[in-house]
Amino acid sequence: MTTELERELKQLIIDTLELEDVTPEDIDPDEPLFVEGLGLDSIDALELGLALQKTYGIQLQADSDDTRRHFANLRTLATLVEERRVK
Amino acid sequence: MTPASLFVQDWRAWLPDGDAAGDTHISTEARPAGRSVPAMLRRRLSNPGRAVCDMLADLDPEGTTILLHASRHGDGERTLEMLYSLAENAPLSPARFGLSVHNAVLGVHSIASGNRRSLQAISASGDEWAALLDEACGYLAEGAPRVIAVFSDAPVPARFAAHAPPDRGSAAVAAVLSPAEGREIVPAPASGEALSALDALQPVDIIDWLRHGGSLTSPLRGRTWRLDA
Repeated sequence: MTTELERELKQLIIDTLELEDVTPEDIDPDEPLFVEGLGLDSIDALELGLALQKTYGIQLQADSDDTRRHFANLRTLATLVEERRVK
Repeated sequence: MTPASLFVQDWRAWLPDGDAAGDTHISTEARPAGRSVPAMLRRRLSNPGRAVCDMLADLDPEGTTILLHASRHGDGERTLEMLYSLAENAPLSPARFGLSVHNAVLGVHSIASGNRRSLQAISASGDEWAALLDEACGYLAEGAPRVIAVFSDAPVPARFAAHAPPDRGSAAVAAVLSPAEGREIVPAPASGEALSALDALQPVDIIDWLRHGGSLTSPLRGRTWRLDA
């Protein structure tokens, strides 16, 4: 079951990270986003952090363990946005 | 000057706004496929970057050749536009920043191809072709069996166009240069008043010269290269 916010985040990830061959259906909400699963890299992590800041006003610390946890998969990312969004 | 002999063994070109007239050396795809680079790496390359990677994969499938890549402006869309983000105190895109450096295209290609030889990025204020040949002579004189010289450029963003050379479209060319095999490049000094009327060489000029032979003249330091058709 994919929520509206998860759908929105999938599109944000595809657009921001220029994933030219990926569709929203390709992103499994429970699969890892980084290295395995979708296969994003460290530059993507920084880029995604910037997109979350621009879109939802969420400030993240690049080197914190919390950020690592939030970026684990799409569901944890959606939880982060729900809890911390200011716009 | 360049005392050593240089020969063109093979070449490829990307000419999206031109007419290849059936020439199999030339691709005219508006958006190069970039098949030589895995999708997750390819997504960050601009069109000239995709073209360069594919030409290199074609000319050097083993990934064992020394590569030189010249571009006068590099990826202007990324570098110059980032200056506006800075001026507006907007955060910089990490991906754009990472790919804005002049050796980004060869860097991506080296990851995709596993090429661990010397990879060199050059910008020479309009004398890119001369710089490429000089560098190539150096590597060949040191014993390299061949080098690949690449020259690519795309028009700079519109708001910088008044300060840039005439817009002749995007293009890229890659030539395999050897010390003895192929068509010889015969260099000569060029002088005279006519030189000052010439524009700096762009990749489209090199492509035209490789196709049809004849003389190619760079006005900046007065150099001409002749190539038999």
